[in-house]
Amino acid sequence: MYVAVKGGEQAIASAHRWLADRRRGDRDRPELEVAQIGDQLRLAVDRVMSEASLYDPELAALAFKQASGDLTEAVFLLRAYRTTLPRLAVSEPLDTASMRIERRISATYKDIPGGQILGPTYDYTHRLLDFLQLAGAEVPAAEIREEVTDAEACPQILELLNDEGLVEQEIDDGAEPSDITRDPPDYPMDRAARLQMLARGDEGYLLALGYSTQRGYGRNHPFAGEIRLGQVEVEIHVDEWDETICVGEIALSECQMINQFSGSREAAPQFTRGYGLAFGHNERKTMAMALVDRALRAEELGEPIIGPAQQAEFVLAHADSVDASGFVSHLKLPHYVDFQSELDLLRRLRREHAQNTSFGQSESHGNPATEGETSVRKSGQGKHDRESGVHGL
Amino acid sequence: MNGYNFAYLDEQTKRMIRRALLKAVAIPGYQVPFGGREMPMPYGWGTGGVQLTASILGADDILKVIDQGADDTTNAVSIRHFFQRVAGVETTTATTAADVIQTRHRIPETPLRSGQILVFQVPIPEPLRFIEPSEQETRLMHALEEYGVMHVKLYEDIARYGHIATTYAYPVKVDGRYVMDPSPIPKFDNPKLDGNPALMLFGAGREKRLYAIPPHTRVESLDFEDHPFEIQRWEHSCALCGSDRSYLDEVITDDKGGRMFVCSDTDYCQTRRGEVA
Amino acid sequence: MTMEKGTVTQHRGASSAAWPGLADPAHDSQRLFRQILGAMSEPGTLTTLAVPAPPQAAPSDALGAALWGVILTLCDLETRVWIAADLDSPPLREALTFHTGARITDDPANADFALLTHESFDPQTPFALGSDTYPDRGTTLLVAVERLANAEPWILSGPGIETIRALDIGDSPGCRALMDRLAANRASFPRGLDMIFGCGARLAAVPRSTRADSREVN
Repeated sequence: MYVAVKGGEQAIASAHRWLADRRRGDRDRPELEVAQIGDQLRLAVDRVMSEASLYDPELAALAFKQASGDLTEAVFLLRAYRTTLPRLAVSEPLDTASMRIERRISATYKDIPGGQILGPTYDYTHRLLDFLQLAGAEVPAAEIREEVTDAEACPQILELLNDEGLVEQEIDDGAEPSDITRDPPDYPMDRAARLQMLARGDEGYLLALGYSTQRGYGRNHPFAGEIRLGQVEVEIHVDEWDETICVGEIALSECQMINQFSGSREAAPQFTRGYGLAFGHNERKTMAMALVDRALRAEELGEPIIGPAQQAEFVLAHADSVDASGFVSHLKLPHYVDFQSELDLLRRLRREHAQNTSFGQSESHGNPATEGETSVRKSGQGKHDRESGVHGL
Repeated sequence: MNGYNFAYLDEQTKRMIRRALLKAVAIPGYQVPFGGREMPMPYGWGTGGVQLTASILGADDILKVIDQGADDTTNAVSIRHFFQRVAGVETTTATTAADVIQTRHRIPETPLRSGQILVFQVPIPEPLRFIEPSEQETRLMHALEEYGVMHVKLYEDIARYGHIATTYAYPVKVDGRYVMDPSPIPKFDNPKLDGNPALMLFGAGREKRLYAIPPHTRVESLDFEDHPFEIQRWEHSCALCGSDRSYLDEVITDDKGGRMFVCSDTDYCQTRRGEVA
Repeated sequence: MTMEKGTVTQHRGASSAAWPGLADPAHDSQRLFRQILGAMSEPGTLTTLAVPAPPQAAPSDALGAALWGVILTLCDLETRVWIAADLDSPPLREALTFHTGARITDDPANADFALLTHESFDPQTPFALGSDTYPDRGTTLLVAVERLANAEPWILSGPGIETIRALDIGDSPGCRALMDRLAANRASFPRGLDMIFGCGARLAAVPRSTRADSREVN
């Protein structure tokens, strides 16, 4: 005798217990501390903060731990927490020109005012596994060069070009940018909203799209004008005191690409820009973001839209890993009611197909006699004929 | 649950959703964009429905949650548990006892009554999405009431298979104006949308759209004069309660082709068998 | 970035104490919203909101308890409110800002909600009707009317109404103009005006989807 399945509640509870047990692992080894993660796995923490769009290294590390190192899950945990936070203030625009720089490079000039600063980078490491780390060897303390604190000493490279008029200028028109965390997406989207979506977009996705532009799907001739990583002050304006105060510092990565020039009979040719910004040290992400940002400006700059990375609705609607992983994984949920609907139809169609075949009829199921007579019963006809598609009913 | 507001969402988010719901009710079948929030469950798992339920639910409401028609499927259990935790509401499996019913993929077999609210979880709210992927385009098509392309799609099925090959999420027209996706309910449930005395709300969290069918609203399933809309029928009756008018799930009972059919609506089936007090 | 939880100081308007807020914001606004949702879902049905009445001080007291309850339930710093001249007063503005944070606008086309009375209703006021692509972006009118009863002359039908429902909001020229304006909604649908009527603590709604016909011979 069949009995309807019950006990979902118990099953869920034991799944959660098992998961917690797995996460803890071997009890003979010390449990990972959140502080250790923040300290020693900082790039994972930075990526989680960036895609969750919440700057909180400690909670990002906690999310990473709680997710057993699954970055997408960790991003989701932190993002879900983010939505519950009240908005107490809106910061002044961050000034990356006055960043306390840890790393700053330009690919467009051999030497630059303030110098090329490599900083703590993996760039020139040979990718050889360091077996000494397996043996637990201690790392000697680094001699860190004196921090460049004088922002004047490290001017932004694109602003140097700007002085000559060689690169397009970006002007703050004073308009209040939309807020993608509160307003539903409204296509076409302006650049401010696009940049917000890219900033919390999935790194792998942006990397693939950026890469595709380099391979010819919407090429935009990029030069890494400047990449800088470091600490930037966050300021808020307090109305009561009519004063702007610093509330703390956050680590940021910024990439400014210099891209192919455009010009017209009226406007002299100039380089164009692509922009990338992310929390923490997220250099790869910001480079990919800058490439995609520039690709998405195709329409604005009058370029043909030939590559996927140039199609704004496509790029932006699929960039968020919380959206994407949720919807892909929802296929795990029961769908047996709809599947039953499909089974029922498929069996019927196969029965009819078998009958038609055994009567030696044509393979076409459409009945030509009724085709001309079929008419729309419900008022479904459009008021306007569209350019494409078959519309004669 | 400490640290969170009643029904999880903050009051400002609830107000935003409530304002959007009133517009949705005023323009039946039109998808109202809303500032959907991340919820502590994944997108695609009912976050739209959960946000709507959280925005309408009161401490005195009795809540029922179903998935595939059943109260005991894992996701229904999970969502019901969520609201017990964050709102402390009473829950029920009885369709007749519920004030608010959140559902995924079914409309209960037991007729709903005036005053009840049915909240649907919607994955893709745009009925034209699989014909035209661009949101800018589909928005224009709705504005111009340009739905010929949908009929073309349905008619292509007829030409190819002899039948309209859409069996769930079957498009409807609401009050003679908007073509609407009724969420992935089997087309068996479509007739229940028409003139229903309950208020029906639809929430798509990831796509950030919500829409509504007020009570007693005309809802027609799209069809053709010579291919009228029809619903699924079974040769079997429910093996448990004997109903010959409910939607049946096929259950495989062995590896030799044995199968049986039982009601997808567990409350309906149990009530018929007298298992529910 | 995460902000440390800080204390937000609020300025209490001098006369705002007289305009009541909701005693239990989360639960009261839920209860009121469900009544408003019910009214909008079943056009023309009458419901009484249990909400404290505004202070009896002309001219703003004409708004009535029900519409004040609607404002407390639906308005916040993300909404813009337009106030008709015959309702407007500094205490009302202060109370609105204090209790909801709503922004007050002089431009009716820019308003999410408009507060008016049947006497001040002018069909020419350019409220937002929404667009064909975004019909939801329209002004919701909150109108204090002469009376609310389920009686002729107006006969409502459409979504939310099983057969027909009668509605009487009053005899004044303004009341007649209001209903004529609602009757005109069908021609511009899906663009249109949605109205919530208040009379004391009573409330009824007529959205743009409703067909409104007059039984009177003009």
